[in-house]
Amino acid sequence: MDETVAEFFKRTILKIPMTEMMTILKAWGFLSENQLQTVNFRQRKESLVQDLVLLCEKKRASLNDAAILDIVYTQFHRHQKVWDVFRMSREPGEDIDLFDMEQFKRSFKKILQRALKNVTISFRDAEENAVWIRIAWGSQYRKPNQYRPVYVVYYSQTPYAFTSSSQLRSNIPLLGQALTIASKHHQIMKMDLRSRYLDSLKAIVFKQYNQTFETHNSTTPLQERSLGLDINMDSRIIHENRIEKERVQRVTQETFGYYPQPRLEFAQYKLETKFKSDLNGGILAEREEPLRCLIKFSSPHLLEALKALAPAGIADAPLSPLLTCIPNKGMNYFKIRDK
Amino acid sequence: MELADTLRPDGDPNGGVLAHLERLETRMHRSRKKLEEPQTVQAEETALVTEIQKLRRLRDKLRAEVKRRQAGVKASTANVEPDQTWEITEQEVLERKWENLKAILQAYRFTGLSGRLTSRGVCVCISTAFEGNLLDSYFMDLTMQKPLRIHRHSVPVFIPLEELSAKYLETNIQHFLFTVCEYLNAYSGRKYQADRLQSDFAAFLAGPLQRNSLCNLLSFTYKVEPRGQSFPLCARLLYKDLTRTLPTDVTVTYQGMDALSTSWEEQRASQENLFRTKPLHHVFTSFARKGEMLDMSLVS
Repeated sequence: MDETVAEFFKRTILKIPMTEMMTILKAWGFLSENQLQTVNFRQRKESLVQDLVLLCEKKRASLNDAAILDIVYTQFHRHQKVWDVFRMSREPGEDIDLFDMEQFKRSFKKILQRALKNVTISFRDAEENAVWIRIAWGSQYRKPNQYRPVYVVYYSQTPYAFTSSSQLRSNIPLLGQALTIASKHHQIMKMDLRSRYLDSLKAIVFKQYNQTFETHNSTTPLQERSLGLDINMDSRIIHENRIEKERVQRVTQETFGYYPQPRLEFAQYKLETKFKSDLNGGILAEREEPLRCLIKFSSPHLLEALKALAPAGIADAPLSPLLTCIPNKGMNYFKIRDK
Repeated sequence: MELADTLRPDGDPNGGVLAHLERLETRMHRSRKKLEEPQTVQAEETALVTEIQKLRRLRDKLRAEVKRRQAGVKASTANVEPDQTWEITEQEVLERKWENLKAILQAYRFTGLSGRLTSRGVCVCISTAFEGNLLDSYFMDLTMQKPLRIHRHSVPVFIPLEELSAKYLETNIQHFLFTVCEYLNAYSGRKYQADRLQSDFAAFLAGPLQRNSLCNLLSFTYKVEPRGQSFPLCARLLYKDLTRTLPTDVTVTYQGMDALSTSWEEQRASQENLFRTKPLHHVFTSFARKGEMLDMSLVS
């Protein structure tokens, strides 16, 4: 086995936490059950990695096999990457999309390899007719850098593709072109949506986050659900602002629904607006140029935090539509200018 | 899917709905067991029929008991408060009517297209089915404002809902709903066939089944006999019409062979015809049956 490939194997296996080692190796599927049983998984990690690399060498594992292991690792640790979303479009009135996964992969590979001599492209099919693509970029004179790959997740016959953010931005247009042509679209544009939580991004763009519908077969009528205020808990407790609290609860439920919110970590607003004030006079009121500022809301779970603002008394209900439109519009980056 | 006759003209709505639901249920069970031995199907059918009769007798017995007890209650309270008993029975009648209507509304989803009024408008439920098997349900929340629009829905993203709603939602809502029903039922049917092939006939496949989200392109390598020495065939099915569950284009080739003798060419063409005219899992069921008949003839 090539030295660089062996090194790549070693570093990839080293990344895997010991608790997940068996699961990930099984999911990878390159080493059989019998072969895995010949390895002692109780030894120290460094020696275990050495044994595994030797096994791979004996089985003549290729660079592509290592790349697939890298994909499996990333699938288990997708939160370690930040994901961007691209939307593709095609001219209206096109023929029916007869998507052939093998043709897509061939076409994608051909386009990239035609433009860049040195590039490693690997595919792994995933559930729901999706494919994970791993691309290691090289250049005219340099071999591909296996330690800075880009991942693309594409669900067949949809206009959306999810890519892991990478520092090497110069190749993004080429990547977009390959995706667009291989999936038989005409244009591609980057959405103003970014998060670590790939599944939440998928839920937002595929509009799968609000899936409780009122039917005659649903057992709990939505209106009767508890509003979280046990008014009749104890007669000695008097809720002074009961009517206002109930209004706030109602407005919050109407805006955010009864479903778990998709998970985002931030929302960013770039403002370029003139100062507005009720008071006459003041220095800022006369300023002609718009003020420029950047406001960023961060949270381990932004939308749940926003949902909790009004009931906690920190903000008025209803919240600003700039905050509540995030999942609907599929954006968490905004540029706001005066009209 | 045919419309369900939920109210029979014999004046007994309860018997009609329940009997009909029971029929649908037995039909579903029956068509699921098509692959098993005909004898077991028969035996199970008779077992089910006797079970149904037993349950019906029990139900009638319980109903008679309920009536008897109600009459007893009425009789005992009749002496004390004549007005109140009259109210109780009216309330009971209304409650029974309400339960009836709720049950009928719940059963409406078996017609394939049903709905419920919401505060904003209406929530439409499309229940898909294929060959009498009830499959996934999809929902659309419509707002009854000008312009009429879809507030949210659970239709998969690869179904061209935006296109259809742009064309028909405002102008002809009936056509819109029926078209969406068509697309979703056809998608469910194609998906059902592909799933059946993957799960029930994996022994016939020489490699993985290639499919896509819409299940409108299927590509696989198969053998007519799972264990036999027959040559593997490559099949490629294209479903260009998204409202149909049968393919529009079928290509079958013998793996790795270009020129064929006339008998082989005939076989190849007949295979193509099979896939073009019968649902995918039925084609493989017929392969399985042929194999069984061959086995039986070899034994005898």
